[in-house]
Amino acid sequence: MDALLRDHLLTLVVFLPAAGAALLLFFPHSARIAARNVALGVSLVALAASLPLWTRFALDQGGFQFREKIAWIPQLGISYAIGIDGISLLLVLLTTVLTPVSLLFSLTHVEKEVRGFSIAFLVLETGMLGSLVALDLALFYVFWEVMLVPMYFIIGIWGGPRRIYASMKFFLFTMAGSLLMFLAILFLAIRYHAATGGWSFALEDLYRLTFTGSTETLLFLAFALAFAIKVPVFPLHTWLPDAHTEAPTAGSIILAGVLLKLGVYGYLRFALPLFPGAAMRFAPWLGVLGVIGVVYGALVAWAQHDMKRLVAYSSVSHLGLVVIGVGAFTTMSLSGSVLQMINHGLSTGALFLLVGVLYERRHTREIDAYGGVAAVVPVTTALFLIATLSSIGLPGLNGFVGEFTILLGTWLSPHRWWAIAAATGVILSAVYMLTLVQRVFWSPFAHEENRKLTDVRPSEFIAAATLVVLMVWIGVRPNDLLDRIRPAVESLQKSVAAKQIAEAQP
Amino acid sequence: MTEHFVHFTHADLLSIAPEIALAAAGCLILLIEGFAPALRRWFATIALGGIAGSLYFLVNAPPGTTFGGRYDTSPLTVFVGLFLGAAAVLALLVARPYLERSGEERGEFYALLLWGHLGVCLMTRGLDLLIIFIGLETLSLSFYVLAGFFRRVAASSEAGLKYFLTGAFGSAFTLYGVALLFGASGGTRIDELARPGLADSSAVTFGLLFLLVGFGFKMSLAPFHAWAPDVYQGMPTPAVAYLSVAPKGAALLVLFRVFSAVFENGMPDRFRAGIAALAILSMTLGNVVALAQRDAKRLLAYSGIAQMGYVTIALVVFGREGLAAALVFFCAYLVSNVGAFAAVSALYRDETKPHPIAMLAGAGRRAPFAAAVFALCLFSLAGIPATAGFIGKFFLFKAALEKGLYTLALIGVANSLVSIGYYLKVVYILYMRDPVETEAPPVLAPADRLALALCAAGIFAIGVFPSTLWEVARRAAATLPFGGP
Repeated sequence: MDALLRDHLLTLVVFLPAAGAALLLFFPHSARIAARNVALGVSLVALAASLPLWTRFALDQGGFQFREKIAWIPQLGISYAIGIDGISLLLVLLTTVLTPVSLLFSLTHVEKEVRGFSIAFLVLETGMLGSLVALDLALFYVFWEVMLVPMYFIIGIWGGPRRIYASMKFFLFTMAGSLLMFLAILFLAIRYHAATGGWSFALEDLYRLTFTGSTETLLFLAFALAFAIKVPVFPLHTWLPDAHTEAPTAGSIILAGVLLKLGVYGYLRFALPLFPGAAMRFAPWLGVLGVIGVVYGALVAWAQHDMKRLVAYSSVSHLGLVVIGVGAFTTMSLSGSVLQMINHGLSTGALFLLVGVLYERRHTREIDAYGGVAAVVPVTTALFLIATLSSIGLPGLNGFVGEFTILLGTWLSPHRWWAIAAATGVILSAVYMLTLVQRVFWSPFAHEENRKLTDVRPSEFIAAATLVVLMVWIGVRPNDLLDRIRPAVESLQKSVAAKQIAEAQP
Repeated sequence: MTEHFVHFTHADLLSIAPEIALAAAGCLILLIEGFAPALRRWFATIALGGIAGSLYFLVNAPPGTTFGGRYDTSPLTVFVGLFLGAAAVLALLVARPYLERSGEERGEFYALLLWGHLGVCLMTRGLDLLIIFIGLETLSLSFYVLAGFFRRVAASSEAGLKYFLTGAFGSAFTLYGVALLFGASGGTRIDELARPGLADSSAVTFGLLFLLVGFGFKMSLAPFHAWAPDVYQGMPTPAVAYLSVAPKGAALLVLFRVFSAVFENGMPDRFRAGIAALAILSMTLGNVVALAQRDAKRLLAYSGIAQMGYVTIALVVFGREGLAAALVFFCAYLVSNVGAFAAVSALYRDETKPHPIAMLAGAGRRAPFAAAVFALCLFSLAGIPATAGFIGKFFLFKAALEKGLYTLALIGVANSLVSIGYYLKVVYILYMRDPVETEAPPVLAPADRLALALCAAGIFAIGVFPSTLWEVARRAAATLPFGGP
């Protein structure tokens, strides 16, 4: 058992949820309470299993840790190769935190097909974790696509009125990007075979391949498109507001909290180090699209009447900022981007959760249907306010550290004006988020039926409070995270620089 | 030459024992039907026994060729034989509850299915164009009758007649092709086609084109696909489950055998381009038309046309690498497609009426197991990873890219995206729509459950652990005569 925990800890974390889902298959259809408790319990065990990853993580290493490798399709050099560096460590923990939080919220709010919902959620968690730890491109692709299926069901079965349209759009958009990536992965492996005579899909083997000119550009675009759709980078974002608005609250939390980050993560882990030359050529475009995303997302969010759509568009804006940090490609801006991914997962997760709290009671997300409810639901108000302040970057909370690091890092890069444009987005986000809080919680009391609103239940409170505690912790001690991010970012930059030199030589 | 046909050797008999077992089991069923109809409930068991016996003889047959180099027992034929046997077993499992529900449990069904299976086996083992043609005709005649099995249902009779007319057309093309090749080479054995200089003669070119048309009919490859939707709709579903997989695989194997004998040093570009055009047309037409379908069996028919388009890419790749990819693709297609038809068979109450997809609304709740396997099969057909269908496409596109067929691969994945549109539409109806029918789907019979479970297990087994299958398929493909290095 000890050996298992020591050598296969990461595998355990990844597959615990799937094992839970398999267990639930044998539950009778009617075992609703048992099913939701088992799902929550399994996700909590997965969280507990993931904590040693944090404590045992060696800070001074830039490479991958907790590595495991087992041959899978040996004829083609495809293996079950997993491992994490500082970037994936934090995203793995974000996933293992947000999943039980979502399930905890769903305890009282999902009534239909509870067993199916629990299975879908646990499979989704395994898919997300697998994509984050995979160090083999074929393995990564399998997990990456497997994620789609449970999310499709979560939106399509437990979603809002336009759920069918939203789930279909989500599936087709994401699939369109990944199919090109699929061909690019095959092409990479074939190139590796041509160059070395052996087969391998292992990431670190394929890193060594060098490409030139249009081949590299095309391969880069095939990868980048898949990830840009997932982020989503403007103008590929149109699936996101629909998916978010129609998804059930738990689905929105995971979608915004983890799934979108996988786009940025994929870019950092695959597109950038595999094709650094093309990535650097396209970096200005990426930055510009990020800037457009920041401003456009903020303006559209400002114009929304629906709370959930507002938070959804704010995600487009916030992830634009993350994309700017990636495009600027300084150690500081990259670290800020990674940190901001975690921050956005926590704050937006909390916002979606609290919008869900209000929605479950009033069955509307129209901002105008509320107003002055702070006196009726004081705890909800307080939690919402903290999440908002985190989201708009108030010093002392996590959002500030992330935004500041990105802006400063971008300012130090050759693309100084991006930082200026991005700063306007930060100001705009304060405008629309505070307007939202003010109109929902403090403006004059307008609707009598809001008197009967009840405040958060214990399960909802624990779910939201967990996120708030993490926000404060990161706000106060950001270096706990940054110390883990920085070595990974530096080794990424080093490998990119080395490969660019190699490609420059004929 | 004639001696071989007059004096069968012991080895000859041993090599054909698998087919004799099938024929005997079919005859036995018909005799029981005539003389002891009370034993009717044993038909399915006898048929399964016949297939088990035939697989036993096949696996134990001494390797090599018999009947004067006309009949093949190699790892390739054993592999394909096991594939065909699996299709037949799954179809038979579904058949019994299906026929019971429709009140037509007649011995002919089993006998004809066995004899059709016998024909397909002859096609895959024959190294002589005439044996292949006899196999093709045995298959066709059995399935013409099966298509019209529900005599009192107009749609079924229509299916029988349509299949007969178009099938006769296809057989005629095949026979013309055989005649032309015979004229050019002076023999009917496939290895006689591998003579230097023969590939350039126009008789051989036309002979191959005719064969391509004839077997294209059997594979339901566009533009020779028109029969498939109507025949699928009228034919009993278990028979469709078999017809939609096994004969198509056999037809592609025959094309591989003949083409690789003629074009020992690589396929000329004009043929390559022509077959690529067939693949593109079939993929695109199948997928686009499937989007508009409202009937489950018609939808699966067009989906099958598209899938045959994908696998034809393997013929463009050519050689043993192409064949190995095709074999893996067909194994994946077997579990996914037979599973889908098994689910259709288990989910509809009235077998003789059309099968509108809309009737499946709410099946996810009312028939959870069948619906879940159906959804799994559809995801597999769509090529989502961790299912068999993904592995099939993985090796196929890998082989294509290795040969530099970039355009073909790109069109292939673009088509996969289109196909998601209609596969997900069915999943959506299964799980996200409220029932319109007051009557729930029929109770799931144990045999149905077993067939569905086997297909689901196969989908995951191939999807998650494909390396053994790939190795076996590669070794089998390596025994293709004239397959290049």
